[in-house]
Amino acid sequence: MPKLTFRGGVHPLHSEHEGKLPTRNKPVRDFAPEQVSILMGMHLGAPSKPCVQKGDHVKMGQLIGEPVGGLGVAVHASVSGEVVAVEPINYMTAAPQMCVTIKNDFKDEWVELKPLGDVETCDPTQVVPAIKAAGICGMGGAAFPTHVKLTIREGAYCDTIILNGAECETYLTADYRLMLEDSTRIVDGLRAVMRALDVKKGVIAIEDNKPEAIEAMEKAAQGRAGVQVVTLKTKYPQGGEKQLIQAVTGREVPVKKLPLDAHVIVLNVGTAHAIADAVIEGKPLVQRITTVTGCVVNPDNLRTRVGTPLQEAINACGGYKEEPGKIICGGGMTGNCAPNDTIPTTKATNGIVVYNEKEAKSVEEGPCIRCGRCVESCPMGLNPYQIKHFCDMDRLDEAQKLDVMDCVVCGSCSYICPAQRSLTASFKVAKEKIAAAAKRGKA
Amino acid sequence: MNLRLSIAPHIRSGETTSRLMLNVIIALVPCAIAGIYNFGVNALVVLAVSMVTAVAAEYLFQVIARRPVRVGDLSALVTGLILGLNLPPTAPWWMAMVGSAFAIIIVKELFGGIGSNFMNPALTARAVLLASWPVFMTTFVNPTYWAEGVDAVTTATPLATGGVAPLDLLLGRIPGSIGEVSKIMILVGLAYLLITRTISWRIPVIMVATTGLLSWAFGSDPLAAVLSGGLLFGAVFMATDYTTSPMTAKGQAVYAVGCGLIVAVIRAFGNYPEGVTYGILVMNVATPLIDKFIRNRVYGHRKEEKAHA
Repeated sequence: MPKLTFRGGVHPLHSEHEGKLPTRNKPVRDFAPEQVSILMGMHLGAPSKPCVQKGDHVKMGQLIGEPVGGLGVAVHASVSGEVVAVEPINYMTAAPQMCVTIKNDFKDEWVELKPLGDVETCDPTQVVPAIKAAGICGMGGAAFPTHVKLTIREGAYCDTIILNGAECETYLTADYRLMLEDSTRIVDGLRAVMRALDVKKGVIAIEDNKPEAIEAMEKAAQGRAGVQVVTLKTKYPQGGEKQLIQAVTGREVPVKKLPLDAHVIVLNVGTAHAIADAVIEGKPLVQRITTVTGCVVNPDNLRTRVGTPLQEAINACGGYKEEPGKIICGGGMTGNCAPNDTIPTTKATNGIVVYNEKEAKSVEEGPCIRCGRCVESCPMGLNPYQIKHFCDMDRLDEAQKLDVMDCVVCGSCSYICPAQRSLTASFKVAKEKIAAAAKRGKA
Repeated sequence: MNLRLSIAPHIRSGETTSRLMLNVIIALVPCAIAGIYNFGVNALVVLAVSMVTAVAAEYLFQVIARRPVRVGDLSALVTGLILGLNLPPTAPWWMAMVGSAFAIIIVKELFGGIGSNFMNPALTARAVLLASWPVFMTTFVNPTYWAEGVDAVTTATPLATGGVAPLDLLLGRIPGSIGEVSKIMILVGLAYLLITRTISWRIPVIMVATTGLLSWAFGSDPLAAVLSGGLLFGAVFMATDYTTSPMTAKGQAVYAVGCGLIVAVIRAFGNYPEGVTYGILVMNVATPLIDKFIRNRVYGHRKEEKAHA
């Protein structure tokens, strides 16, 4: 079968195996911190409302944040122990975020769990409610509420569920390890969703730089109804939702529409795993795999508790090797910078990448030489050089005419630009400004 | 702990403007060596004056105009070298100086510097020199090396006389500009530019193929058409100038066909023997138009929805 791919794209850190070498052969290790700080706003959508108080004793998996609004997601305790604070903390966002801090008693006492049972025999109508109750949101990075994604609106239909095992992002090996170590659970999650939505086709898509993962998933998929594994060419951003749909189905998500309008739903393999845990064991999403790598003594893949302070995860990997210059939550192409190492991980923290001071050095932007590399690399077919020109002049109307809102902020153009222009950063800011203006207009 | 905050991506390819320019300079070295070897010491003088003037002119302009000094990006050095290689080996040093200063100050810096000029600086300067001192610019000599001790004689270019063996054309045993005569060295440079991915094959191959095919259609030998004059040099080193060529692959194809077409038409029907300079310059001017109308289709947009252009 020919390897599937999309147009455009780049090959970051290609000569260094995408930066994955330090952790790709490290089995996942459990880690529980002394204390967890669980944010109420980990997902896309309104922050949840805390439903515990300082001094309460909570069990693992107990509801501590109630969902608010249509895009709300439930939040659960990731350790058992005493609630020591319910107050806003400083996070990456401009405004402080409401947070429940729990001191770990290291007993890992679970609340009473209500499993649905085997994914092939359970009541399919109960799957999406179980996902909602488990507080699952996209674990690939965007943290979109999964139960909302799986609610098919009137008139729409889905014929394919794609599990995203591309893990095209640099440094990260969390999905890779999960596919190797818990492949059956991933397929279980996919089957649960297929049965819940009555979809006959489930595709697990993996890049060809992970042959072991492809093998493991193929083995796990054997004999499972409608499930197949496909191989993707290794190219960034293959794991981008739109690029993945293009590669796997040949379809494009229509402009300003959702994957469902291309009759596809894409879930990260980690999300599928969490779904299986929720269905089979009734466990809410309180743990995930996080790759801790870069300038740390022992780069590793940790099964962390949601709300683990970055510092504790880093210390669990031997601490800093050198004075850190930058800490990235996520990967090198799309991750966000942590302002300090005391902030906690979230349900979407797939990696913690530490740069030393030299690696963290900023680059000086030079003038565009019109080499055309940004145009060639853009997976969306945009003209980054031109959009940047208007963004720099704050001419957002012109940027919008050039389809800046279609930018997926993958970073390919900035990566490839020989003049070191901050193209992606400009587009991210422009998109936020335009979205904010549209919101104001509506209100 | 002092952590740096920045918006993703946190990884860069490592490619820089100055590295790309250095690649072009390295690719031009074989041509320069062949030129100096073929034509002797005056070729060296012309190249040196042209390069020094280009860098000095850019530096002085940027200091006087209080702009950031960017001579470190090496683009001025590239311009100086390309202009020098475009001059006849007998050109007086002051002509190289005037041309180089014109290229940098008038064509490049006055339009905003690197990336903002709309015509190729070296080529424009060559065209200006051609119009100003036509006799100097069209006096070519036989290479001294191949003439074995015999003094160089003034001669017309092969394009003007016709009838030179393809092997002589290939090896550079012909009169011509300093850099354009040795086709083998140009191909070595092309190979280097392609291997280092400094340029794509698209513009040079399509341009040369277009001129070859059309020359054949107009009744001349296509191989001689491809190997004579400045076609190869222009197609490899000047038509591929980033700033003055289109941004999309499709646009570059259109541009290259245009370049090749104009060269063939000027050669066949014009009363001036060489058309490479004008072919590329005309398409330089057409580049903004090409970029306006030839764009990649945006993901998720259907064709009829592309109202804006």
